[in-house]
Amino acid sequence: MINYVVSVLTEGSIFAIMALGLNIIWGWSGDFDLAFYGYVALGAYMTLALTIGAPTEPTTYILGQTLPFPLAVAIAVVSTMVLAFIVGAIALRHLRGIYFSIVTLGAVYVLYVFAGQFVPLFNGYNGLSGLFDPMGDSFGLDFNSWPFFYLGFCAAVLIAVLVIVTRLSGSRFGLALRSLREDERAAAAFGRNIYLMKLKAYVIGAGIGGLGGGLFAGYLSAFNPSAWSPVETIVLYAAILVGGRGSNRGVVLGVAVMVMGLQEATRYLPEIANQPSFAPAFRLILTGIVLVLFIRFRPQGLLPERRMRDEDPADRGGAALPVETPIVGPSLDTGAA
Amino acid sequence: MHEVLLTLGFGLVAAAILSLSALAFTLEYSVTNVANLSHGEILTVGAYCAYLVQQHGGGVILSGLAAAAGGGALALAVHASVVDRFVRRGIGGLPTFIATLGVSLVIQNVLVIIFGASNLGYAVPQGAPRTIGPFLWTDTEIQIMVSAVLITVLLYLIVQHTRFGKSLRAVSQNRSLARVSGINANRVASLTWLLAGLIGGYAGFILAESVGTFSPYSGFSFFLITLTAAVAGGLGKAVGTLVGGIIVGIALEFFGGYLSASYNLAFAFAILSLVILVRPRGLFVGGRRSVFE
Repeated sequence: MINYVVSVLTEGSIFAIMALGLNIIWGWSGDFDLAFYGYVALGAYMTLALTIGAPTEPTTYILGQTLPFPLAVAIAVVSTMVLAFIVGAIALRHLRGIYFSIVTLGAVYVLYVFAGQFVPLFNGYNGLSGLFDPMGDSFGLDFNSWPFFYLGFCAAVLIAVLVIVTRLSGSRFGLALRSLREDERAAAAFGRNIYLMKLKAYVIGAGIGGLGGGLFAGYLSAFNPSAWSPVETIVLYAAILVGGRGSNRGVVLGVAVMVMGLQEATRYLPEIANQPSFAPAFRLILTGIVLVLFIRFRPQGLLPERRMRDEDPADRGGAALPVETPIVGPSLDTGAA
Repeated sequence: MHEVLLTLGFGLVAAAILSLSALAFTLEYSVTNVANLSHGEILTVGAYCAYLVQQHGGGVILSGLAAAAGGGALALAVHASVVDRFVRRGIGGLPTFIATLGVSLVIQNVLVIIFGASNLGYAVPQGAPRTIGPFLWTDTEIQIMVSAVLITVLLYLIVQHTRFGKSLRAVSQNRSLARVSGINANRVASLTWLLAGLIGGYAGFILAESVGTFSPYSGFSFFLITLTAAVAGGLGKAVGTLVGGIIVGIALEFFGGYLSASYNLAFAFAILSLVILVRPRGLFVGGRRSVFE
């Protein structure tokens, strides 16, 4: 039982990291990016390719190093950011709304097809495997104690990411991103370089996604294309939407509800004969329904983002009563297609 | 030269299926301004309906009709339960787009629960290949192409020469203005989705016939190619979509035949990205035009 709790919490922490990254792109910057899970996947693949050593017949993949796990994850994050820079530089230049989504959907499918078909890259559909208990040896951990250590490690990374995104969220950059989301033209009129800011947000978000992917690879010890069908992106979006788009606390709550909660709720479903895929399919049906209902009835999510104001303390004295802005979430429709 | 023409012949079959699917998608888009991400599931449901009828001894015609009916019912249900409510509430295009992604997830997994996730075989007697001019087609392939042309002509007549078609064009150009002029825009939108569903369901049937197998996910994969054709031709523009479907269908067949079929989807999206980056409104769109001009 305790092992199960540990594994659910570890997975939850990893998904929360990914969702926080996606939240920068969708929650703050306002771009509905369907390529996001591609960055998670690249992070996972790179981490594996850098830690599991040279390929043995009949497997083939690039790199094949035996670097320490943290270093491998760091390199994976950088390579993810490079990929996101390329995709973002193309897609964000002129495209918004559904056109942006369609191009990013295309980008992730191109990656998906290449990862699956082009065997020399990451061993095709069989994927990579063999990363057992990363960092376990150096701390003298065995098979039983390692999961506890890894949970602690992932939780620590999650907290670090949370601290960073919270700082970023209240910074001028974070505020400016939201101004783009709300009204791109107005933001441009105030001298923001929209393309550059959106691209920056995109690369940072994808980097955090790659970090999540690297940790995920350590947790799963293997990765292959069937682990990252585009469905996973929808699950992340559902988590962000339920928790509260744009709000960091909301995103963590959303992951707790949609990833961990739903997993638990559907765990005790009766097994149906000849239907091994019943429970996961049922979970995805619930995810889809929750997504639709939340967009319709509570687009701001459970813990809505607070409207932030960049106040100059010097203004306080002269102003009359402070105007209370109501706490409302971001509007979902940003910019026409 | 002969080989090129043969490939062109196969490309025309693919183009016929793709054009129908893309036309249906464009119809949905034209009246609601929503890019329906659950469009692929209309095709999938059509294929499953045809499969069920075939299992119970129905012939080709009956299977095709069942596919169309299933697709039509599904499109109507999606429109009534989600899209129409969202559009009427003034929830914009992008959130509705996301919601249809949720709908797609739901339908796919309902099908997984009912039929299982694995591929089902859809075997129809293909008939011996015949040589027609420079091309080599089986009876089934001829049936696919002829029916696609007939449906397209019928659709053209409906949109261009009936009262409903006139209302459809009016709603697609300006919903508010159409309503002010006394057109029941909601009814027109529902009927258009029904029409799109009929076509989409039938497209799913001919897709299953032509490929020979299908699964709960095959509609979505094909939808990605449909999206390429529809966006390349110009979202919401029927003639552009038709031409886009034909070009993409043939291009994919040549690419698959001469390079590698496994990278088809990647190739389709490479085309799409290029088109979107160079001409985001579509290749064949100039000025303001209505849906079928």
